[in-house]
Amino acid sequence: MRGRRRVRRMTGPSGVGIGWRPEIAGFVAELPGLRFVEVVAEGVPASGPLPPGLTQLRDRAVTVVPHGVRLSLGGAEPVDPARVAHLAAVAQRLDAPLVSEHIAFVRAGGLEAGHLLPLPRSREAVDAVCANVARAQAELPVPIALEPIAALLDWPDDELTEADFLTEILDRTGALLLLDVANVHANARNRGADPLALLDRLPLERVAYAHVAGGAEHGGLYHDTHTDPVPTAVLELVGALCARRRPPALLLERDGHYPPAAELRAELDALASAAGFPAVT
Amino acid sequence: MNVHAASGDTWGISGPTFLRYYIAAAVLVVAIVAYHRIRLAAGSSAAMTADPLGPQQVAYLNGGPQLAVHAALGGLRGSGAVGVRPDRRLTTVGAAPTGLTPLDQAIHWAAHQHSRVRDLPQDERVRVALHQIRNGLEQRGLLTNDAQRARARFWATLLIALLGLGVLRLVSGLFSGRPVGYLLLTLVTLLIVTLVLRRVPVLTRAGRAALRSVRRQHTHLAPASAPAYATYGAAGAAMGVALYGTASLWALDPGFAEQAEIQRQAAAGSGWSGGSDGSSGGGDSSGSDGGSSCGGGGGGCGGGGGCGG
Repeated sequence: MRGRRRVRRMTGPSGVGIGWRPEIAGFVAELPGLRFVEVVAEGVPASGPLPPGLTQLRDRAVTVVPHGVRLSLGGAEPVDPARVAHLAAVAQRLDAPLVSEHIAFVRAGGLEAGHLLPLPRSREAVDAVCANVARAQAELPVPIALEPIAALLDWPDDELTEADFLTEILDRTGALLLLDVANVHANARNRGADPLALLDRLPLERVAYAHVAGGAEHGGLYHDTHTDPVPTAVLELVGALCARRRPPALLLERDGHYPPAAELRAELDALASAAGFPAVT
Repeated sequence: MNVHAASGDTWGISGPTFLRYYIAAAVLVVAIVAYHRIRLAAGSSAAMTADPLGPQQVAYLNGGPQLAVHAALGGLRGSGAVGVRPDRRLTTVGAAPTGLTPLDQAIHWAAHQHSRVRDLPQDERVRVALHQIRNGLEQRGLLTNDAQRARARFWATLLIALLGLGVLRLVSGLFSGRPVGYLLLTLVTLLIVTLVLRRVPVLTRAGRAALRSVRRQHTHLAPASAPAYATYGAAGAAMGVALYGTASLWALDPGFAEQAEIQRQAAAGSGWSGGSDGSSGGGDSSGSDGGSSCGGGGGGCGGGGGCGG
């Protein structure tokens, strides 16, 4: 029997946060002003001891948001109930105010892609995503925020614009938006489009929090690597976003090639000042 | 009980008389040894300070001088100050960083002289620096000092001598066909107590507590977390080696660790149990100084039946 016990939940994400990774747990633990982190949901056990660093953050009343990467909400087949159950269990354990996942597929026809793949922006895809989000929402104890992913190129048969595609999904599911500012930058840059035009057409009032990550240019294309510093252009886009409607929280994503602590702190400070949030360092 | 030295008594002392005095002596010596052990483990609480322990001190507590050397090496490698040459000898890269501890400076100097990692503990300057660390830890009551250990060892030796006397009596008793059951029982008990009390602890209780507390604060440096040493810096690298052994040095820089012939070892974590200041050991598992050849036999011996008289 699934226990729907009421839990003391943390407040929603606020201010500048950072993606909690075991590799930099000691760094994150020493950020005095930190109110919010995100953790890869698949890396948190549904039972047994939590990683000690996460327990410490919870003791400090830091909001921890589980971020799923393997649900495959964009898949044609229904989401795997076991994966949804795991995400729900992790949300309960961390007293999370919400969870987040990608609008992407990671497996199809039993084959694992190993990473997030973009969907064609068709009405059929919207239907598939909405059905899967509804299945997940039925089991999750908290709201879900959906994150569109970067695509280096458009599918040839896209029927909808990026903004329409997202708005349609959010409207039909009632889900929140997890906006990835670096993705907006990457998509616009790689297609020669204006990132501000996309921001203007997105439902910014539905943003639960925003991702900001570093990237690098290779061969004329911008890659959202999460292992490089956040470029000035992305920070400027953060400023532009906040000028339109500031999201409740911004999260720095760093997934590897971790720099010295001073550099990482400077990135967090730059993010805070771009958004007008208090510094967490 | 009628006690008259009968002609058949071993050494001219009757069994019960011997046993009575023997047990009394054993209880006395065990009490003294136990007293010293407890005092030794408790440490001199007087010198406790609030100063946090540095990585090299933690390494010394956790794995002795060898691990302290490796921790310093981890810090120096983490800051890019030392490298290794193709001939497996150390070398320095650029000027020495600031804020080095005496042990860092000694190792940096040895690296400048192209020493091998395995020769570092014998290097004169390194030895002096290690001695400083040891003295500091003794003064803080975290490590037992030589005098304390010598005293504890003296009484433990007396215990072993007593055990030897009992074994002699047992053997003589067996040869002359006297009942030896109770004596045997006493000896087995004494042997077990001796085995428990024989090892002289290197860490005091305060030392073990300090080590535990540092480990709790640095779980993020466990190799299982694949710690980002670039982020944690040289101090993080040194503390990682101090707490988790040379496995951390391998994780920090496998190329360096391999080329410098550093053995990959995980520190077990219960504290250093090694004996002398010498170079052997490294991890924590290896046993202490000699001493294991304890009072002869005591094992087999089926025979002893009834006894009493």
